[in-house]
Amino acid sequence: MSIIFVSLILLPNLSIIVQFFSESNDNWTHIKEHMLSTYITNSIILILFVGVFTALIGTSLAWLISAYDFPLRGFFKWGLILPLAIPPYIGAYTYHGMLNYTGVIQTTLRNQFEITVNQQYFNIMNMPGAIFIFVMFLFPYVFTITKAFLARQSTSLIENARILGSSSWRIYFKVVLPITRASIVAGVSLVILEVLNDYGVVKYYGIQTFTTAIFQTWFGLGDLNSAIKLSGTLMVIILGLLILERVLRGRKRFSFTTTKVKLLKPVPLKGRNKWLAFSYCMGIFSLAFILPLLQLIYWALLTYEKFLSNELFSVIGNTVFVAFFAATIITVMAIVISNFSRLHRGLTAKLFPKITILGYSIPGAVIAVGIVTLFISIDELIYSWGWTSSYILSTSVVMLIFAYIVRYLAVAYNSVESGFERIGTNFTEASRMLGNSVTQSFFKIDLKLIRGAIFGGFILAFIDILKELPLTLILRPFNFETLATNAFNYATNEMIHEAAIPSILIIIISAVAIYFFHYVLERE
Amino acid sequence: MSKKILFFSSIVLILLFLTACGGNESSSNEDELNLYTSRHYDIDDELYQQFEDETGIKVNVIEGSADELIERMKREGEQTADLFYTSDAGRLHRAKEQDLLQSVESDKLNENIPKKLSDEDQEWFGLTKRARVIVYHKDRVDPSELSTYEDLATSKWQDRVLIRSSENIYNQSLLASFIELNGRDEANEWAEGIVDNMARDPQGGDRDQAKGVVAGEGDIAVMNTYYLGGMLNSADDEEVKVAEQLDVFFPNQDTTGTHVNVSGIAVTKHAKNKENAIELIEFLSSDDVQKQFASANYEYPVNPNVEPAETLKQWGDFKEQDINLSILGENNADAVKIFNEVNWK
Repeated sequence: MSIIFVSLILLPNLSIIVQFFSESNDNWTHIKEHMLSTYITNSIILILFVGVFTALIGTSLAWLISAYDFPLRGFFKWGLILPLAIPPYIGAYTYHGMLNYTGVIQTTLRNQFEITVNQQYFNIMNMPGAIFIFVMFLFPYVFTITKAFLARQSTSLIENARILGSSSWRIYFKVVLPITRASIVAGVSLVILEVLNDYGVVKYYGIQTFTTAIFQTWFGLGDLNSAIKLSGTLMVIILGLLILERVLRGRKRFSFTTTKVKLLKPVPLKGRNKWLAFSYCMGIFSLAFILPLLQLIYWALLTYEKFLSNELFSVIGNTVFVAFFAATIITVMAIVISNFSRLHRGLTAKLFPKITILGYSIPGAVIAVGIVTLFISIDELIYSWGWTSSYILSTSVVMLIFAYIVRYLAVAYNSVESGFERIGTNFTEASRMLGNSVTQSFFKIDLKLIRGAIFGGFILAFIDILKELPLTLILRPFNFETLATNAFNYATNEMIHEAAIPSILIIIISAVAIYFFHYVLERE
Repeated sequence: MSKKILFFSSIVLILLFLTACGGNESSSNEDELNLYTSRHYDIDDELYQQFEDETGIKVNVIEGSADELIERMKREGEQTADLFYTSDAGRLHRAKEQDLLQSVESDKLNENIPKKLSDEDQEWFGLTKRARVIVYHKDRVDPSELSTYEDLATSKWQDRVLIRSSENIYNQSLLASFIELNGRDEANEWAEGIVDNMARDPQGGDRDQAKGVVAGEGDIAVMNTYYLGGMLNSADDEEVKVAEQLDVFFPNQDTTGTHVNVSGIAVTKHAKNKENAIELIEFLSSDDVQKQFASANYEYPVNPNVEPAETLKQWGDFKEQDINLSILGENNADAVKIFNEVNWK
C-alpha cells in the first residue's frame, strides 16, 4: 500500500526530474552569471535566521506551557497555534500596511502629535522584516510538534532532572532541547521548506531569493525548462540536508520504554516569573496574531458591503470541503507510510519518507505543471478508451485534491513520524509477540498512542490547504474560488482593504479547527 | 485490513463522484464560455454576469497568473479554454508565439478598437489601456524640471527616483519599449542610470512608490495611472491625502510619447465556442461596457467613442508611444536580462 502511495507522489515529480537532465541553453549561463550567487546567499540568510528563531521561540513556548503553570496557560496551549492561520503574505501586507506612511502608526503620530518620523525606522520591507514575518507566522509548526512530544513523552527524564536540583534553564538546554531534537527538526524543516517555497512575501518586500530566480526564469525569460532545473537543484539540496541530519542524529533515539506514561505535571510559577512567562507568551501572541487581526478587521470595516453576497458562502463551502477532504486523505497516507517505514529495515523504508518531502520542497507552481501534464495524459488515455465524452479528471476538483496531497503529505507525515518516534517500536513488538498481526497491533496499540500526533498532523495539513495558493490558483476547475484565491487576488492588485474579509474568514475557520481539536485532545 | 480496504474504496467512490460533478462543467456546452484570466477585478465579474443576462451565455472563469495559465493551455492542448484574458500585451504576445491563439475577423472589433492596441494578425485585442507615467510631489518638484523617461537617468535625479522591482511586468514592458525605440545599448544605459538614481532599493507595489514620494524618501515615482486613480478615490482617507499631494506628468510628449500598455483578450486556438467567444469580446469593447470599465477601475477605455473617468480627464490628453504593442512581448526576455545585468533588484 505504501508503495502505491509513494509512487503516486513520485509520478508528477517525474516530469520535473526528466527536465532536470535536459540540456542547458543560453539562459542558463545568464542565470548562473547574474542571478544565482546573490539569490542563494539571500536564501541561506533567510533560512538560517528563520530556522534558528522559530526553533527557539517554538520550543521555548512549548516548554513553558508543558512544564509550568501561569495565567492564561490553558488558552495559550491552542492560542499559540493560531498565527498559523494567517498566511505569511497576508501578514506581510498587513504589517506593511500598519507601518507605512499611511498606516495607523505613522498617521496617528502625524495627525495627533505632529511627529513625522524617519521612514527608515518604519520600513519593514527588507531582510530583517521578512525574517520577522516568517518567524511570527511559521513558529507554530515547531511549537505544535514539540508540544505534542513534550506532553506525552517520558516525564521521568525531566522530573529526575528536577529532583537532582537542576535549574529551569539547565533543564531546558540539557534535557529538553536534546530529547526534542526530532520534533525540532521536524518542525524547523517544515518552516524552512515553507520559506523556500514562499513567493508572496519576498516578492512584495523586494528580496531576491532562490524562488525569485525560479520565477524570473519562468515568467521573465519565458524559460520553463531552466526554471525546472533550478527547482531540481533546490530539491536536491533540501534532500541532502535532511539526509545529513538523519545521519548526524545517528542512533540517538529517545522513545520511552516504560508502560507508565505519565503526563508532565506543570509546576505553578510564582511572583515575577509568573508574569514574565505570561508576558512572553502574550507578547508573541500579540505580534503574531492580535495586531495583524485588528488591522484586518479595521480594513474589513471599510469594505464589508462589497462582500455580503451568497457567493461568499459558496466560497467558504468550497474552501472547507476541499481542505477537509484532502487533509483526511493526507493524514491516512501519512500514517500508512510512516508505519511502514518504522517497522521495516532497508533502503526503501528509509527512502520513502524522504520522497514525501519532494512535493513540499518544490515551488507549488512548478509542481502544478507536473500535475497538469500527468492528468492530461491520464485523461487522454481514458478518453481514447471511449469511457468518457470529454476530459474529466483535469477539469474537476480531483486534480486539485491530488495536488494538495502531493504537496502537503510532508506536513502530516512529519507530525505522525515524530509521534511514532516517541513511542518507538517496543509496544508494537510486544503486541506482535502476543500474537497480533501488524495491522491489529496498529489499530489496538499504536493508533491510540499517537492520536495526538495524528490530530496535530491533520490540523496542520488542513490549515495549510485553507491558505494554499499557487496550486489552487492554477489547478482549480472553472468558477471554483476559495478564500485564499479571493484574498490573494485582491492583495496582488494592491487592494489590501478588500483582501481583509476573506483573510479574516480563513483565520476564523482555522481558529475553529484548532480549538476543536484542542478540545478533543484535552478530553482524553 | 478489511477496514482499510473499506476506507479506500469509499475514497475512490467519492473521487469518482466528484469527477462526475466537476467534469460536466467544461464540456463544450452551446451556451457556455470558458475563460482563463489573470485579471482580478470585481468589475470583470459584473460584466460577465451582464453578458449572461443579455445573451444567455454563461462565462466560466479560472483566474491565475498569466504565465501559469499559458503553461496550462499548452499542456491541455485541444481541451482548453475558449478565451485568454490578461493585463499585459507582452504576455498576450507570448501566448501567440506559442501558437495558442487564433485570428479573429470582426467588423465590430475593428471599429471599436484602434489597430495599434491589437495584434497585427488580429490574434488578440486590447480592452483597457493604462499609461506608465511620472508622478511627482507638487511642492518639491516643478513640472518644468521634468521632460522624458531618459532624463530620469541623468545625474539631476540622483537619489530622487522611486520605482518598483524589475520582477514587475510593467517595468519589463517599459524597458522593452525603450529597446525598440532607442536600441538595446541605450536601454541598457538607461536602466543603469535609473539604478544609480534610485532613492532606495525597489520594494512594494506602485502605490508604495507614491507613498514613498509623499513620505519624503524620493521626489518622483514611476507608476501606472490607475493606481493613482484608485488612491484618489480610496476608502482610506490617508491614501486620498497622499494622492492629493501628487500630480501626474506624461513624459516624452515632444519625443517618443508616453508608454502605454493594455489589458487584452484573445480567442484560443482550440476554442470550442468561437462564435460565443467573439461575441463576448465584442460586448466588452462596446461603448456601454467600455464606459463601465473606465469608471470602475481608472483605466483608459480603448474605444475612442468613450471618454475616460473624471479623475483621468483632469490629467489631460497625452501623446502615446507609437509602437505596436506586440513588441513588448518580443523584447521581454531581453529586458529581463538587462535588468539582471545592471543589478536592478
